[in-house]
Amino acid sequence: MASFWDNIQNIDRRWIYLLVAGAVLFPMIFVANFPIELTPESLQLYNAIDALPDSCAVMLTFDYYPSALAETEPMSVAALRHMFRKNMKVVTISNIPLGGPSIAERVTREIAKEYGKEYGVDYVNLGYKYGYVAVMHGLAGSIERIFPADNTGNLLRDLPLMQTVKNYDNIKFIYVVADNATLEYWISIVNAQYGIPVGGGVTAVMAPKMYAFVESGQMIGLLGGMKGAAEYERLLGILGTATRGMNSQSMVHLVIIFLVIIGNVGFFFSRQDKGKRNG
Amino acid sequence: MRTTLPVIVAFLSGFVMVVSFFFGGALGDLDDNALQWVTIVGGFTLVLGVFSILRVNGKVVAKRGRDWPYKLATVISVVAMAIPSMLPVSTNTVGGRIFYSIFPESWGSRMGTGPSSIYDWLFNYIDSPMMETMFAMLAFFIASAAYRAFRARNAEASLLLITATVVMLWRIPMGEALLRLFSDSLPDYINMYVMNGFNVSVQRGIIIGAALGAASMSLRIILGIERTYMGKG
Repeated sequence: MASFWDNIQNIDRRWIYLLVAGAVLFPMIFVANFPIELTPESLQLYNAIDALPDSCAVMLTFDYYPSALAETEPMSVAALRHMFRKNMKVVTISNIPLGGPSIAERVTREIAKEYGKEYGVDYVNLGYKYGYVAVMHGLAGSIERIFPADNTGNLLRDLPLMQTVKNYDNIKFIYVVADNATLEYWISIVNAQYGIPVGGGVTAVMAPKMYAFVESGQMIGLLGGMKGAAEYERLLGILGTATRGMNSQSMVHLVIIFLVIIGNVGFFFSRQDKGKRNG
Repeated sequence: MRTTLPVIVAFLSGFVMVVSFFFGGALGDLDDNALQWVTIVGGFTLVLGVFSILRVNGKVVAKRGRDWPYKLATVISVVAMAIPSMLPVSTNTVGGRIFYSIFPESWGSRMGTGPSSIYDWLFNYIDSPMMETMFAMLAFFIASAAYRAFRARNAEASLLLITATVVMLWRIPMGEALLRLFSDSLPDYINMYVMNGFNVSVQRGIIIGAALGAASMSLRIILGIERTYMGKG
């Protein structure tokens, strides 16, 4: 017969699912806001954007699938707010066919409306073109050659903003928000070969890898997952979805840590029991 | 010929890109043109993919084969997303003039991929929530897997377990508050020594190793030694 310590190692997964669901829902009902501490990486990114001249042109990428929206969309929203506050001209682009351009369209129009920005004058959504390596190289020569029209079919030559933004020479910073390896290409192609500063945010799973690029100076600043987005929101002084989401994420992390601890306690004592039984 | 031609194309494409990288401008606009060809060829592969999905699933539906209702759902989904997004949005083009001579011009706002288009609606209200739901379910599986798999069986596993627990605490506001109870500088030390120390050194090794592997594989393809991309061993 299985001992208590064996049982504690084999809790039915449905109880675990219930515990996780409770951990997500509980903080939504009983809100407890803990202070969000800043990491040097998020502060570096914020300062880099803040130090750019007002009204300059920047590129914001939406290199993520809808599946990672909870982590990445708050980063894009916070970045846009920061850029529009400084009256920057924003050119958005996506290297993800499934969703990227549509997310960019929705998010930029929503935030632009808040700041009274006009499409074609203050921001443009280039959309998606196949082959990100070719696209990244191609934009160095001529944006219009790669994207003759924007995401909704307007010719680039008819958009006032694109009369002044012709290639990377006219872009001061590339802010990449990604849930995949495209950020590495922005760094190794655009930053390394064309010298354009690159910074941005990625999902929490990807963040550890990106620390290497921040450390080497190839990337300016980094937002890691929802926590990174919440840090950026704090820097902007806004209460966004990332800040609100941190409560649920905190509880789920604590539940996982609790489960790991009781699993190991069970493992330790059950091993001790077996050792005693076997003499 | 079926083997030789792709090897020649691969060699020439690789040669152009390598030479233009190391001797910028030596080949004029050839590298720019080669990159544009990548985009054009890539566009055709996407079209090919769509036709392949329709053909494979369409056959099963026509024969009422295994799981045909799911295949039908796939075909309907592809058509519903693709057709309206490809139709012209205005009469500015020849295609647009022909299309809107048959259909009312008010349909224009529903075509294409812009806001308020059919494509956009389907994406925002069906595709996106479904993908988010699938991804969100990972939290349940991760919790269950962490509980079952994270065991301090030996020194290495214990080290991994402790590091993972500390980093998980460090990444949440509640955890940071908890860590500060032990020492006010503890979260900063975790960032400095774990993330920017051990993590960066290991990640760099992996990145450099992977880059060397990619470079040698590219060289093998350019020189025609590696032919697995043609389905050959």
